[in-house]
Amino acid sequence: MTTSATLAAPPQVTAHQMQVARAIAPHLVDTPLAVQIRRLALWIGLSVIFVALSIGVDMTPATFAKGLSKLADFMANMFPPNAAGGEVRILQALAATFAMAVAGTFLGVLGALPLGLVGAKTFVANPALHFLIRRSFDVFRAIPALVWALILIVAFGLGPFGGVIALALTDIPRLAKLYAEAIENCDPRAQEGIRATGGQRRAAIRFGLLPEVLPVMASQSLYMLESNFRNAAILGIVGAGGIGFELEERIRIFAFDQVAWIVIAYVLCVMVLDLVSEKIRSRLVHG
Amino acid sequence: MLELKSVTKRFGSTQAVQDVSLQIPAGSMVGIIGRSGAGKSTLLRLINRLCDTNEGAITWHGKPVTELRGKALSQWRATCGMVFQQFNLSPRLDVLTNVLIGSLARQRGVGPMLKLFPAEERARAILELHALGMSHTALQRCCTLSGGQQQRVAIARTLMQLPEIILADEPIASLDPANAQTVMETLSTINRERNITVLVNLHALDIARRFCPRIIGMADGQIVFDGTPDDLNASVVDAIYGRHVIEGSGARDEAQELLEAVA
Repeated sequence: MTTSATLAAPPQVTAHQMQVARAIAPHLVDTPLAVQIRRLALWIGLSVIFVALSIGVDMTPATFAKGLSKLADFMANMFPPNAAGGEVRILQALAATFAMAVAGTFLGVLGALPLGLVGAKTFVANPALHFLIRRSFDVFRAIPALVWALILIVAFGLGPFGGVIALALTDIPRLAKLYAEAIENCDPRAQEGIRATGGQRRAAIRFGLLPEVLPVMASQSLYMLESNFRNAAILGIVGAGGIGFELEERIRIFAFDQVAWIVIAYVLCVMVLDLVSEKIRSRLVHG
Repeated sequence: MLELKSVTKRFGSTQAVQDVSLQIPAGSMVGIIGRSGAGKSTLLRLINRLCDTNEGAITWHGKPVTELRGKALSQWRATCGMVFQQFNLSPRLDVLTNVLIGSLARQRGVGPMLKLFPAEERARAILELHALGMSHTALQRCCTLSGGQQQRVAIARTLMQLPEIILADEPIASLDPANAQTVMETLSTINRERNITVLVNLHALDIARRFCPRIIGMADGQIVFDGTPDDLNASVVDAIYGRHVIEGSGARDEAQELLEAVA
């Protein structure tokens, strides 16, 4: 047994060594009682808050059990999935929803590009201005796509146009924040190198900053497209048309087998989109 | 005795290490020199098993290192501590935790995952830090330290492993001469006082000559020199580096001649 030599117990720390270590840094060898109490109090506090919040939103084992049995009934009604002759219509609606997502994302990216630059600390150095810009992103980011859609559908009427604008308006502050952070986190050394050759600021941005951040931004935008495909379905329910509208119609008449068909078709589309965008993103970032 | 028998490592079509055989008695201090890409780093990584050999075998006191798996493998990695050029510490963790990471291989349970280490290990970590003059930084984040300080923390982490071998991969390449000297002296002291075998990759020839009684030269994945600093004469150096290399301040005239030839 040659391995026994290395698997033997490590040499013990002697009492003298412990004494010396305690003399060097007593608080690091033994956790002070105050710290132990504080840690315990923190854990208890967090648990209490969690339980209180759970009860507050009625998230109790009893509610869960009750809902579960209803859910089972609901699921039973969904099978077997059935399009009831509406396949073409459903697929067209899926395509319309995808188109809405693409258009919304595109407009969002266009709007977010300049705002992202302006929102980066490295770009607008004035702290007060930077604070103002970034907090204004926060304010607009707090408005959900659904709220935009409800307002815009009143303004522009039922249909995908309001949905597209709603998606774009939701994306602009979200993407602007992500772009700004990508720009801020960009390693400044390449830009410094270009400034050191005598290059202008715009050259430093063009050759030092953009090649670094564009793949990141593109990846974030693709992710936003995935997310918008999901959002667009929800917007359809409130009147933007597309797959959401088809779903809503069938839920209203309790045609759950048709709902199941749509959901399966939709989930497949989402999976394909995620897969494709994942491929593109990994190529953008690593390629 | 650390023994390598016809060790070969390929990355795609490149032969990083080619048919290398070596015998390194326990307790020795060996410097490995050679150009970037000569296979020095790969050699150390093969010994630690950060990468696996394609052919050949490595043994330590007869134990087949290249065949270890699972628990035995992580035990082996603890036995041969690595010291890296860029320190490879966890930058946002404090110094003490980074050092305590060196004790993970002998810890059990989930305690260490919650940063709960036994008082004995904490004492050991503090003693190692103190011995390297770093105990006052114990609660600082590693990323706030200078390069020389970080390398000393990394050495403390390695010592926490209670290693039998230390593999140092360009440990001083990003340090200023004063810090480089401190780190090399530390490695040398560890080698002498604790009888830990030290293998150190170096770019600086003068450092290798000064601190390593045995020097190994690598070129294109093969060992082209193995001897004492005295054996390492100018022509051998040129063979290792594949071109004429001027060493030391005594050769200033020669350097001037070469510069004029280029101009």
